[in-house]
Amino acid sequence: MKSKLVHHVIAAEGRPPWYRSDGQNCDCYIVGIAGGSASGKTSVAQRIIKNLNVPWVVLLSMDSFYKDLTPEEVEIAHRNDWDFDSPNSYDYDLLLETVTKLKQGKTVDVPIYDFETHKRVPNKHHTVYGANVIIFEGIFGLYDPKVLAMMDLKVFVDTDVDICLARRIKRDVAERGFDVAGVLKLYQRFVKPSYDTYVYPTKRNADVVIPRGLENLVAIDLLTKHIQRQLQERKMQSRWDMARISAPEELPSNVIVLEHTKQIMGMHTIIRDIHTSRHDFIFYADRLATLVIERALNELPYETRIVTTPTAKTVEGLGLKPRVGGVSILRAGGTMEIGLRRVIRDAVIGKILIQTDPSNGEPQLHYCKLPPTLCDDNTFIFLMDAVVGTGAAGLMAIRVLLDHEVPEDRIIFLSFLAGPQGLHAISSAFPKVKIVTSFIDPVLNTDTLYLEPGLGNFGDRYFGTENE
Amino acid sequence: MMSIIRNKETTRTDFVFYADRIIRILIEEGLNHLPVVEKTIITPTGKEYEGGVEFQGRICGVSIMRAGESMEQGLRDVCRSVRIGKILIQRDEETALPKLYYAKFPPDIATRYCLLLDPMLATGGSAIKAIEVLISHGVPEEKILFVNLLCCPEGIAAFVKVYPRVKIVTAEIDGCLNERKYIIPGLGDFGCRYYGTDK
Repeated sequence: MKSKLVHHVIAAEGRPPWYRSDGQNCDCYIVGIAGGSASGKTSVAQRIIKNLNVPWVVLLSMDSFYKDLTPEEVEIAHRNDWDFDSPNSYDYDLLLETVTKLKQGKTVDVPIYDFETHKRVPNKHHTVYGANVIIFEGIFGLYDPKVLAMMDLKVFVDTDVDICLARRIKRDVAERGFDVAGVLKLYQRFVKPSYDTYVYPTKRNADVVIPRGLENLVAIDLLTKHIQRQLQERKMQSRWDMARISAPEELPSNVIVLEHTKQIMGMHTIIRDIHTSRHDFIFYADRLATLVIERALNELPYETRIVTTPTAKTVEGLGLKPRVGGVSILRAGGTMEIGLRRVIRDAVIGKILIQTDPSNGEPQLHYCKLPPTLCDDNTFIFLMDAVVGTGAAGLMAIRVLLDHEVPEDRIIFLSFLAGPQGLHAISSAFPKVKIVTSFIDPVLNTDTLYLEPGLGNFGDRYFGTENE
Repeated sequence: MMSIIRNKETTRTDFVFYADRIIRILIEEGLNHLPVVEKTIITPTGKEYEGGVEFQGRICGVSIMRAGESMEQGLRDVCRSVRIGKILIQRDEETALPKLYYAKFPPDIATRYCLLLDPMLATGGSAIKAIEVLISHGVPEEKILFVNLLCCPEGIAAFVKVYPRVKIVTAEIDGCLNERKYIIPGLGDFGCRYYGTDK
């Protein structure tokens, strides 16, 4: 009955940083829309989304937060005697929790309400992540004071009640199998009294009242312009000029650099050499990745394990306690997956695609698929990237993990090569994240953003997409 | 091998191992469809060996993220340092049509034979979109091979209707699609099982 847009993040383009350079999230912008049944709330919301034309907008419907009915109540509901228009029909605790998390930029699971069984669909939900703007709509959208307090803009759609009734009759007869008498009975018993008693008075909570709903193009246009202006004002002056910040010479204490054995130096010599063929590059990159993974495993907790040898004697050994999940920052971080698999055969692997916006050098989040087990108490995350230059992509990826409830101290950030600026940027934002890398290069070229002497574009060399 | 990866009781370790094995065989079969030229060589005995062949032209893999990336290992096992392009296609929630989000190819892709990698051909929507992207980068239709593990007749029909000259190399063809656009009996969501992201 609602549009397909509901609960889906509209991501036509990458998401620019939604956090400050210290790694903390900026609150997202919440618009609340209330109004009578069939007043056109959803249509107004959709028109605003269309006019706003910014990516990463979520439309959240209050219908998702109906309470589960007991079997007796379901029976009443099937006789059309249940009052769905009462403010008590909603689970405000869950609503508040969901809106609070969304406001903080966290990932949330929005329940799916089944209007046949009048219960939430068990074990199913829409996962919503990454909204810069949330539009929340429902008849009681402006009812609960705690939810109201979180809204940046409150809108009441004030459509003539006769028109609402006419629309409701049309919709319920066409789509929900009611006859006209049935619709009118519900309307007189529940819809109208509830509107007069509870819904209409919430109009005074609104900042803006839109008469005539969707027809009122001028009002919607003004509203959209206002939201745009506010978004522009709070647009983070993030300035990803990290390259220009001079970093202290000393490395942060959470950085672990592999011991420069002859092997490591030898492999670095090969992968840095401009004349190295691609199959050698790939072979040695995979080998080096394996060693970085092995080193990172030493940072995890182990427990005593006693085993019996074939000589029937026992040995007090060690066993890895937690599980390890990998998350690669695509494209270049994907090059560490082979190394990870060589060491942890069945490591679960999540992926985050972050690309740099060529117009301003900011990182943009394009895609993110993380396994649900990543946030288990017993899982450590190896976040993998090839080269840490400014640290902007790593910072964004760590923010994504934190937004998915992964504790900061269970993230280990791995790379082949890193520069001091990036390492300082990441560890000052997220001091509990350990960083493991095989080499530090001192210079970050402020024009190319490549480390120097460096190794060029790791992803291009590994995947063979460089210009000849 | 297909029985193992179709079985829902199969552990992930086994799933990945056998999927990689099947993919290697598929790639080998795909390579058989590329043109070769005869080449006479001299063996260490100093004699000529006639009837030798050599591949003509160069290849490149193109994986449709995320599931197609699972086929890169198999491709690399066969073609050691092959160039690999990537495409991210997602369903546009507004139009329900596949939409291109990201593409990165070798600059000379137009001169190469392309092995398009995606484990499943269900509705054909993303594969058709991917071919469209390749063609817009100058790759001729007849130089594209679409390699997958599992097809269904609906997907093949839709695909062949748009791109009749693209060859499809697959391990098996299943019965049909269900209402959720999964191949039946199928093997579930390949990407989720390969990367362990299923719940």
